[in-house]
Amino acid sequence: MSLSKRIMVVDDEEMICEALRGWLEKDGFRVDVTFSGQEALKRTEDSFFDIYLVDVKMPGMNGMELLTRLKEVQPEAIIIMMTAHGSIETAVEAMKRGAMDYLCKPFDPDELSLLMGRVMAHKALQEENIALKEQLVESHEGFFDVFIIHSDPMRNIFSTIDEVAKSSAPILITGETGVGKDMVARAIHLRSERSCGPFVAVNCGSVSESLLESELFGHEKGAFTGAIKARRGRLEMASNGTLFMDEVGEISPRMQVSLLRSLEDKSLVRVGGSKSIQSDFRLISATHRDLPALIREKQFREDFYYRINVITINIPPLRERQDDIPVLADHFLKRYTEETGKRLEGFTQRAISLLCSYSWPGNIRELRNVVERAVVIARGRMIGAEELTFLNPCADVASFGPITLEELELNHIRATLDSCNGNMVRASKQLGIDRSTLMRKMKRYNLFRT
Amino acid sequence: MARKRPSAPSEECHVNLIPLGKVDSLAVSIVAANLHTVLGLNADALPPIGNPDFAFLPLRNQYSAGKIIKMLETVNGSAKFKIGIVQCDLCTPILKFVFGESQLGGQAAVISLHRLWHGDPSRTYLRAAKIGIHEAVHLLGIGHCRAADCLMDGSLSTEKLDAIPLRFCRACQYEVSRRLRHAFGGPEELGT
Repeated sequence: MSLSKRIMVVDDEEMICEALRGWLEKDGFRVDVTFSGQEALKRTEDSFFDIYLVDVKMPGMNGMELLTRLKEVQPEAIIIMMTAHGSIETAVEAMKRGAMDYLCKPFDPDELSLLMGRVMAHKALQEENIALKEQLVESHEGFFDVFIIHSDPMRNIFSTIDEVAKSSAPILITGETGVGKDMVARAIHLRSERSCGPFVAVNCGSVSESLLESELFGHEKGAFTGAIKARRGRLEMASNGTLFMDEVGEISPRMQVSLLRSLEDKSLVRVGGSKSIQSDFRLISATHRDLPALIREKQFREDFYYRINVITINIPPLRERQDDIPVLADHFLKRYTEETGKRLEGFTQRAISLLCSYSWPGNIRELRNVVERAVVIARGRMIGAEELTFLNPCADVASFGPITLEELELNHIRATLDSCNGNMVRASKQLGIDRSTLMRKMKRYNLFRT
Repeated sequence: MARKRPSAPSEECHVNLIPLGKVDSLAVSIVAANLHTVLGLNADALPPIGNPDFAFLPLRNQYSAGKIIKMLETVNGSAKFKIGIVQCDLCTPILKFVFGESQLGGQAAVISLHRLWHGDPSRTYLRAAKIGIHEAVHLLGIGHCRAADCLMDGSLSTEKLDAIPLRFCRACQYEVSRRLRHAFGGPEELGT
């Protein structure tokens, strides 16, 4: 029954103060009364009040002045103005100065009850909003943990993110598939002033051109067969937030023209519609393709490229930042052990060496999948090289481009030996050759030293 | 939540009902009966005292509930609680009108039949009973309740008053029972 919110009643008439105190206490509020604006301000220095009921006409500091002063010291305070001589001008002025409502004394009993109900709902939303924002900040901090411990190239990228996040300039993120372009886009959004707005992602490579148009711009009811109701597009949804267009290199030149217009005007027209809709979003694009090369091949519009590429962030592949591999592997290990409930303490030195020597063509995504799989099949307390035998040496070799048969054999023997912890009997069985043949090859490739 | 009537009611008088001026005596009796049925309180109606002219507010053409309550505090009575009943229209400095007013956790309350009138007398009396119980519970120190179907809901209009059943929500029922026991005695007596 008790709402235990604290209210201050400020009125120079003691009778009014006491009547309000009586009524509000029956409603479960804790009520303090003061008879002047100065006294009210003084009380706020050492006490906190959720709601203020303030009379407009008071000797000394009047209610309007008190309202302004209270909003300066406590912007989130809910202030309700009261007067016995109500006028529209005063009411409008009070609302302009931040009052939540304006009551003419005496009130209708239901009016006061409804108002207090509304105030409580508003207060609950306000508190919920603050709590959610705090949670959001905490989750952001957790999110950035993944990046804080990164190598120099990634540290440089994040200092760039800090610099560019506050602006609204379009950003193009480039990098191989799986390097975490989407995570960088999210990081920019979360560090920007739009972080409380939506982060709307769209993968331009995963849908056909006609679907992409509807996906981006939305459509009106009856715009095409199956459009049974109007639908907002991603550009519209991203208003006051960030629009992340992944695989932007896959967008057709025709669609680039439509997008170019929307990006320049910050407005759009739904498919089948005629009304122009304003949408204020920040654009972040990403691609693994070489856009300048596509421009040369006339597959990508130069004007669109310059529109989306005001700031470029290039994320290096994982093989070029080997320092990150153990840290990222540990991060994923922690995540998947928590998910599966397994007790794994870490990676053996051989496993770390194996992870660091691999070329990771699938980058962080591949590393994450490898660790997830290793966690699932692990039997002991540590993840060893034997849990990482599924690392694909062929893909690894292929990623380096053309190599000789001899080099291929060398790499394969080395990987097999690593996966068998140097056990030549097991390695020879796995390779399908005699132990003596393996020894001969090892001698030939000088593998005994490693 | 209907309350069980105490099996062995005490002879002690818990509430004095005090008509001020000319008041429908049947309404007074019905309020008393309901205080007994719902709360287990013995309520005696005292002889009417004079009109509450002292509480008349010419500017509002209404009567001050606060002034009447202050006067009721001075009335000699046998009971712990005193509830005045008036026919005139009541108001407070902040509210345009009230059906009743009481001191939270105090001794005196007042209810007005003025705005409770309905063409069907039984409805008028039921409304009076509900307001009488509502104010009596305030005297026990219990405030308003946000449950929509509780007699202690603070946002009362006659329409809402008619819609609310003559009972409390579970939380208020518990609190009413507890406070009655605390105020008047053992569990067999009151508040069971």
